[in-house]
Amino acid sequence: MTGSSTPRANSMTGKRVKRWPLRPLSAVILLVLAAVAVASCLITQNVVQDQERLILREQTAEVAAVVGSSFAGAQSSLQLLGQIASSDNRHPKLFAAAARAVTTASTQGWLVTTQSGTSLRVTAAAGNGPVVGQALSSALGQLAHRAMSAKGLVSGLVQEGRTLRLAFALGGAAGAGTVVWQETVISPTTPTPTGPTSPWHSLNVAIYLSNHPDPSALVVTTTKDLPLAGIQYPFRVGADAWLIVASSPQSLVGSLGQDMPWIVLGFGAVTAVLMTAVLETLGRRRDYASALVEERTASLRSAIAEREAAQTSLSRQENMAAIGQLAATVGHELRNPLAVVMNVLYLMKVGSKAAADDPIHRHLATAEREISAATLIVSDLLDYAAGRGPILAPVEVCDLVDEALSVAPPPDGVQVVQRCEPLVVDADRDQIRQALLNLITNAYDAMPGGGVLTVSTTSGPGSAQITVTDTGMGMDEKTRDSIFTPFFTKKARGIGLGLAVTKRVVEAHGGTIAVQSRPSAGTSFTLNLPVLAAMASAPR
Amino acid sequence: MRDTLVAILEHHGYRVWSAPDGETAFSAAQEKDFDVLVMDIRMPGRDGVSVLEELGTPPPRVILMTAYGAEDRLRAAANAHVFAVLSKPFDMRRMLSLVAQASKDSK
Repeated sequence: MTGSSTPRANSMTGKRVKRWPLRPLSAVILLVLAAVAVASCLITQNVVQDQERLILREQTAEVAAVVGSSFAGAQSSLQLLGQIASSDNRHPKLFAAAARAVTTASTQGWLVTTQSGTSLRVTAAAGNGPVVGQALSSALGQLAHRAMSAKGLVSGLVQEGRTLRLAFALGGAAGAGTVVWQETVISPTTPTPTGPTSPWHSLNVAIYLSNHPDPSALVVTTTKDLPLAGIQYPFRVGADAWLIVASSPQSLVGSLGQDMPWIVLGFGAVTAVLMTAVLETLGRRRDYASALVEERTASLRSAIAEREAAQTSLSRQENMAAIGQLAATVGHELRNPLAVVMNVLYLMKVGSKAAADDPIHRHLATAEREISAATLIVSDLLDYAAGRGPILAPVEVCDLVDEALSVAPPPDGVQVVQRCEPLVVDADRDQIRQALLNLITNAYDAMPGGGVLTVSTTSGPGSAQITVTDTGMGMDEKTRDSIFTPFFTKKARGIGLGLAVTKRVVEAHGGTIAVQSRPSAGTSFTLNLPVLAAMASAPR
Repeated sequence: MRDTLVAILEHHGYRVWSAPDGETAFSAAQEKDFDVLVMDIRMPGRDGVSVLEELGTPPPRVILMTAYGAEDRLRAAANAHVFAVLSKPFDMRRMLSLVAQASKDSK
């Protein structure tokens, strides 16, 4: 499992912190569904309120009808009592008896008034109220005049001292100039109890003898909380406009109707959340699946690439091995003729009878030099082709540097600076010396006009570093990238195997080689060799 | 190789006897009493190391020459009687100093 990374593992890293809890699509859907739920709630609320108002209006109309019919009953009673009074003026007891028959409360009084001149006198009376012969108060007088001129029943509130009376008057019922009255003492501000038998059921009702809710025209109320906020239902009683104001203390559409908007809202909200959750889950699953597919595709691609690289590397290695074998064969076969030519040159030199200043000596020296160069090429080839694994033994790094420098002493004009830290590595002495030798001779070649060669060794944690630095011509980036490639060379002599061998040797030791260089700013090679803990402290 | 080496050694005053192949070299080495043997490792017929092995003790001082790699050198080094192994091409001065040293030791 090491190294494999799934999408889940990715999402557990820092990315999750920045991520929105919802994908944009889910968020939009959640918002839309929530808006729909709220709108549905509001619409339902409106419908319920309309329904409530409608029911209230219907019930108020019923109350008005009941109240109106009871007043109509009062009118016919007054009509009847008027006829009794006119036909039997001398038998007031009959009137009283008839009045008692239609009396429904002890606060009610019945009377007949007759105009004589400018004043109105009571000519018959029953129940609670004025007595026969008594003159009418001015308030009642005004009502009487209205009754005589109006057609039908008139009504009014009459305040006499602390007593308030509701008076109904019917003009001309007992002959010309007469008015038949019904008076009831009322106390409008005392709420009338409601009950299942009362005409207003469970409504809060206020009845005004006016076309608007005027407190001074209040006749009956069922509540102290006035004015009532509710339906206003005007109706007529005889010649006068009355008004019922009604409200309902509890819901008329029932608790389910009342709760319906909230039920709709809740249902909508739950639907929105569920829908969003489903969409989000599906979306995330799809994301996860596509991420998985991408990841698998990527790993497949990289596997293919790795395989291709491995194949390329393998075929390259095979090629190099073949070339190496060929080079080794050629190199070995060249050694014999080279040795013969060298011997012959030696013989010619020692056997020559020519004078010391004869040009033949110069030619022989040139030939010897060229044979040496050819020998070096063959050695490089064989070193590269040999490619054997290192035979490790503890080696003092400074000794190796000394050896390499003694094999390749600096040419004229090159100064060598050696900074050596005593250090033991586990290495193949011959191979590392060869590697150092290659770096040192390269450095000499890079400083044809002289310069400073610095070889320093330092120890790091678990590794030893050998740095070979010159102050020579340096190299550009392109050259730097190719120097470790076999057969790459910019020198007039050599076949470009020195650094390839060096790199291979260092890597075979489990180390690395790095190069730093800029044109005309010198070059620095750093070898990094692993140090075994036991070796690092080994005595010299 | 053989001719030039013979010429150089004679030039430096050594009496030299040469053999064209391994078998001849082995016979000669058994019959004659040489101070120093200079031999290629790879020779026609029979290689230098096996010649050396069969010569037995006490052997003459032997200098082996090789044009080949580490393998041959290791085979030669395994034989304790080898005085020196030289890789071809070699510096003639080194060869001469080795021959001089070997012939001095054998006396």
